[in-house]
Amino acid sequence: MAVPNRPSPSRRQFLLRAALLAGGTPALMAFLDACATGDQTSSSAPSMKVASPDKPVTWDIAKDNAPIADGLAPEKAATLQLYTYADYVSPDAIKSFQEKYGTTVQVSTFNDTDEAITKIRAGSVDYDVFFPSYDQIGKLVNGSLLRPLNHSYVPNIKNVWPVFTNPFYDQQWRYTTPYTVYTTGIGWNNTVVPADIGALANPYESLWDPAYKNKTAVIDDWHTAMSMVLLKLGITDVNTSSAADLKSVGEQLTALVAATSPKVTITMYTDVPTGQIGLTQMWSGDIINAQNYLPEGATAEVLRYWFPTDGRGLVDNDLMVILRGGKNPVLSHLFINHMLETESAKQNFKQIGYQPPQVSMSPDSLVSDGFVAENIKTAIVRPEYYDVGYRILELEPDNDAAWHNVWRAFKAGGS
Amino acid sequence: MTLTEVAAQAKPQSKRARGSALGPALAVPGIIWLLLFFLAPLYVVLAIVFGRTDPIFRTAVPVWNPLQWNPSQFNYVLSRIVGDNGIFGPALLRTAIYVLLAGLLCLLLAFPVAYYTARLSGRWKGLLLAALIAPFWISYMMRMLAWVNLLQDDGLVNRLFSLGGVFDVRTHWLTGQPVVVVLGLVYGYVAYMILPLYAGLDRLPQSTLEAARDLGASRFASFWRVTLPMCRPTIVAAVLLTCLPMLGDYFTSDMLSASPKTAMVGNLINDSVQSPGQTGQAGALVMLVLLVAVVPMFYYVRVTTRGDVAS
Repeated sequence: MAVPNRPSPSRRQFLLRAALLAGGTPALMAFLDACATGDQTSSSAPSMKVASPDKPVTWDIAKDNAPIADGLAPEKAATLQLYTYADYVSPDAIKSFQEKYGTTVQVSTFNDTDEAITKIRAGSVDYDVFFPSYDQIGKLVNGSLLRPLNHSYVPNIKNVWPVFTNPFYDQQWRYTTPYTVYTTGIGWNNTVVPADIGALANPYESLWDPAYKNKTAVIDDWHTAMSMVLLKLGITDVNTSSAADLKSVGEQLTALVAATSPKVTITMYTDVPTGQIGLTQMWSGDIINAQNYLPEGATAEVLRYWFPTDGRGLVDNDLMVILRGGKNPVLSHLFINHMLETESAKQNFKQIGYQPPQVSMSPDSLVSDGFVAENIKTAIVRPEYYDVGYRILELEPDNDAAWHNVWRAFKAGGS
Repeated sequence: MTLTEVAAQAKPQSKRARGSALGPALAVPGIIWLLLFFLAPLYVVLAIVFGRTDPIFRTAVPVWNPLQWNPSQFNYVLSRIVGDNGIFGPALLRTAIYVLLAGLLCLLLAFPVAYYTARLSGRWKGLLLAALIAPFWISYMMRMLAWVNLLQDDGLVNRLFSLGGVFDVRTHWLTGQPVVVVLGLVYGYVAYMILPLYAGLDRLPQSTLEAARDLGASRFASFWRVTLPMCRPTIVAAVLLTCLPMLGDYFTSDMLSASPKTAMVGNLINDSVQSPGQTGQAGALVMLVLLVAVVPMFYYVRVTTRGDVAS
């Protein structure tokens, strides 16, 4: 064993050194502040086009990133790499694609799109098709991660709601095709919460009702959750850059923790059917998917969902895009076309619960066709929602940081 | 003069200068390891904390030249620990309390178990030790998931407390209960406490203990005045081995609570690593945890070096 060649510090020396270390930290801060001369460009970012319904964006197609030529044969003996959320593409739809083109499909999953984009940029796997939300499109295009589409391979675009053939976030659908549509409202399990939440004057307020303490949850996504707080307050600009609005949101979130101590999670689709969560902010696709996770003996009768009937709530859609780094651009186009086919779209909907924006799947027929139980027909998304609903948009970097800071404070749990 | 001091005087100081390059040669792998897997990553963390953010993707871009470091993220975190903007303070304090409580509980549970296994179990020692290591065979995540099942509203725990339906027990264990998180930490880490304690207790010189009894100390007195003081370095090591990983734990709170009310510093780090533009803050919190962890490490080094001199 080592024998020290000088005496170890005494208790007093030790305490003194610890105090010096603690006291030295602010001095270190000041020193570093003074030293920070270099490159300060980080906070003032180059302007990035942010698409909004008022300011639709047509993304340029770079010369060195032209769409593939017409009429190419699909890649032979290839493995098509999909990159998506877990349980977000139906195995049956994949199987039928594999059989149709004699190819192999491999699915990799991510937890959130920020993580996904980081990995795509790292380039360790050549993913072909990616399933982001539309509010990531600016990053993806500006970062040159996407391959523009050749429309001749995607005739099935005729099957989707017209709004998505010229969406504000990608005019002329140069890079994107729609995958799913969903709303964000309030879901509840009526064995735990028998009240008719949807009949309340302001159903969002129920999440602040102490009667439901320890039974609630909010979605673990800063923008979605904070937008709900804004809507509760009657503020419909869910991309606000007003400091006062964000301050109110922060205060409301503090009050929320005090009142009902919600879980912050994305596992509602399994927790609501079992009653582990009674009342929660919820995506419409999750309440439909919850039908697949009912405990033994329970029926979909226990599930409830509220979304404003006039469509004035949060409406979103996810996309299918082709990544520039992918090795199978032709198969990627064919896969997108396959998923836009009505039959595969139905197969997919049945298994993942997220509705495809298919013209032929009339919202009114989804109940009678057995996709959605009568009592959660409020979770069916209608095309007209996209005329009046509120859309989460990409935020300018400074505003994005301000939003995140409010969310951080909430997630840190307060006192 | 105490027995240990006699022992220390009797043993001549070992010669440092053995006159060979063997010592440094043996140290080389350790030093390379330390450089590659501790100092280099630490520098990367610093370069990220004081680095830039990619303007489009808002990901962290490390800045390697310290002269160009930008302390804004670090200062952001430091300035929000106490005061009006003190959003991180409560979580840091909460972490300290949870870890101290859990560490203490672990010690209370682990010491008797380790003592029994090391000194009293006789021929059952091997079997007991194997049983103590057994929880390591199952992943931490699986063990926590098992608790999620047990603690659900209609789970076994509530059913047990209701004594077969006599009482209506509807405790919501999994909705941000600090006590559940602390007990989760204890459950997750107690094995890490038992093993070093066992190793320490097992090596106690029997002769010293017998001498204490021979000189008239009662069982309790010999435990209190001989066993316990001789175990001090072991206890400190065991507590550190358990508490330092707990300091960075985010998983237990995520699994057993998922409520901001029980957020620990590990959760803060995990959240900010995943948020675009905030990786620097995560790094700053990592540095804070490191600074806090260094203090007890110094104490440990001090206790153990004194222990070495004594023995």
